[in-house]
Amino acid sequence: MKTKKAKKKITSRDKAEFLWGWLFILPTMAGLIILNIIPIFQTIYQSFFKTGAFGRGYVFIGLDNYKRLFADTAVWQALLNTLKYAVIEVPFSIAIAIVLAVMLNQKMRGRSIYRMIYFMPMVCAPAAVAMVWRWLYNSEFGLLNHMLNAIGLPKVNWVSDPKIAIISVAVVGIWSVIGYNMVLFLAGLQEIPKDYYEAAEIDGANAVTQFFKITLPLISPTMFFVVITRVIASLQVFDSIFMMVDQSSPALPKTQSLVYLFYRYAFVENNKGYGSTIIVLLLAIIMVITVFQMKAQKKWVHYN
Amino acid sequence: MNWKKVSAVMLVAVMTASLAACGGSGSDSKDSSDKQESQDTGKALTVAIWDSNQEPGLRQIMDDFTDETGIEVDIQVTPWKDYWTMLEAAATGGSMPDVFWMHSDQIGTYAEYDDILLNLSDKIKESDKIDLSKYPENLVKIYQNADGDQLAVPKDLDTCAVWYNKKMFDEAGIDYPTADWTWDDFREVAKKLTKDDGSQYGVAIKPGSYQESWYSTIYAYGGEVLTADKKKSGFDEPKTIEAMEVIENIIKDGSMPDYNVVSENETTALMEAGTVAMTFQGSWAIPELAENDYVKENCDIAPLPKGPEGTKSIYNGLGWAASANSENTEGAWKLIEYLGSKEAQQKQAELGVTMSAYEGTSDAWANSHPEFNMQVYLDMREDAQAYPSSKNTQVWFQMMKDKMVDGFSGAKPMKDVCEDIAVEMNKFLAEE
Repeated sequence: MKTKKAKKKITSRDKAEFLWGWLFILPTMAGLIILNIIPIFQTIYQSFFKTGAFGRGYVFIGLDNYKRLFADTAVWQALLNTLKYAVIEVPFSIAIAIVLAVMLNQKMRGRSIYRMIYFMPMVCAPAAVAMVWRWLYNSEFGLLNHMLNAIGLPKVNWVSDPKIAIISVAVVGIWSVIGYNMVLFLAGLQEIPKDYYEAAEIDGANAVTQFFKITLPLISPTMFFVVITRVIASLQVFDSIFMMVDQSSPALPKTQSLVYLFYRYAFVENNKGYGSTIIVLLLAIIMVITVFQMKAQKKWVHYN
Repeated sequence: MNWKKVSAVMLVAVMTASLAACGGSGSDSKDSSDKQESQDTGKALTVAIWDSNQEPGLRQIMDDFTDETGIEVDIQVTPWKDYWTMLEAAATGGSMPDVFWMHSDQIGTYAEYDDILLNLSDKIKESDKIDLSKYPENLVKIYQNADGDQLAVPKDLDTCAVWYNKKMFDEAGIDYPTADWTWDDFREVAKKLTKDDGSQYGVAIKPGSYQESWYSTIYAYGGEVLTADKKKSGFDEPKTIEAMEVIENIIKDGSMPDYNVVSENETTALMEAGTVAMTFQGSWAIPELAENDYVKENCDIAPLPKGPEGTKSIYNGLGWAASANSENTEGAWKLIEYLGSKEAQQKQAELGVTMSAYEGTSDAWANSHPEFNMQVYLDMREDAQAYPSSKNTQVWFQMMKDKMVDGFSGAKPMKDVCEDIAVEMNKFLAEE
């Protein structure tokens, strides 16, 4: 075996770069470790305890919380609700956003204004958005039912009918996230060379074919990023449900998400141990889904 | 090109200016609190409450306190839904507000440890302004811990009554409710006031508004929510079930709007919109209802209907408590002493804030809104029932609220709901 040729000397410049590199990353790393990584381990630790109020009265109960979790039908229903929400929000918000991005990528008058309008929902506070939609959806006094009545249709119980409340909440989710997805797709679209489109036009492809054969494959890296992040975020839905569906609503059992249940147990009933157990379940599910998505990456994402 | 430069510079200027303004006002308040530091009483006390309706009146009383003692007071309102989450997080983190409202549901949790709430017993003994015998005995007892230490000074008293729409009664040709009307009368009247086209209903009751409504029904029929020793649930007692079936019958008559409407709206909103003829409201709802034009014109207050045992309005009262870890426990005590004194309690009633706990001060409250018959709330004290609470009330009443939804929506018969609640409640009570 030949010894390494001319082992690269670590110059003082390299050392300086190394140091500065870590220095710049330090704030983010500190934040990540203190606010994200350590709490994850604390949460898992807490799930083995029965907790009291004020962070006191910790009693080790081993796997009892987990036994309770597996027997708890409310948790499994909440998991189903959360999955339903994700299945509605993610595909629709992405589909609508990509179409909008393609349309807003062309040169036209007022393009920036349209882009701004579609992005505005992201700028509004989620609680404010939920309050407005709550009144829009109100079965007695809301604007939507008012309009339905005006054209002679019966009123719909948007947020108190167990069968459709989760869909109503998901619609609000879609509305508020389209702008964000659209901006990401617009960025991805800038990277596609115009030559492909010109060549396709010469060959006689129409806009729809161009979209499916050129745009979609070339934007798949961005699409992959958006799908993963949106799935993770939608599985954590809480504020829209908390603000739009009242605790006494008949729709609550079929609408509450896992994070909603976590809030209920950890903060309203002061049982942080059981709340942590629910979060561990959510963590496990998100990890499994993300692993599957990463594996499936090879099948549909085209990196140049 | 120049436009871009100009707008960029302007944007930067606006951003720095707003930053400076924030920083500036921050240092301003620091200056004024520094001024307070120079006086011997320290910086502003933080006071936490949950009812924004009471804030204006309390603000005036606090200003009087500041005039007398020089201590500044800063009132912070957190809506009821989030108040206890906020307080518990603050207690866990050791940074509670100096003075805050305490409720009989939660006193059990806060009294469990010695170092959360300030022990006021010795201070009360030394004080000449606070005399515990002048407050209702029940309220004084609720705010004591297991050792008999006083952890909060009673602030007010609330009772419940029926609000009815005079215009709807006139239209239907029904006499206004009298003090003798019974739950059967109530049921009849509610039915008569319900129109077939759904534009008007006789009554609306939310399962979560138990304090104002169905708790009283339970006691009026001789049932109970908790046994007197607080060890068992009263929900499986036959008289309790009978009372809940009275409510069930009213719902079956069709006198309440669809449960969806009831769950999505507050009863005050339904009353203000003219959709419902009668609702149950606690005395704390007066500031909101009294502001509403429709209600001012058309509504008035009537006593609760009677059951075989009487009216049994649920009465409760909040307490003023202080944090044991406050930096200014002396100042906090001074404030609580002031708020519990006869003068402040009188003022609280006169301003129409709430009925005060101090004996003899509430008559002034009844005159604060002459267009309504507020005397009814005072009369309800004659035959009242103390709010049922146990050491860990909040654990079982969430469960009770959730299960009761099925009884009100018609998903399950009241008898089954009550028995379910009793089983779960007994489990929780056994753990206390």
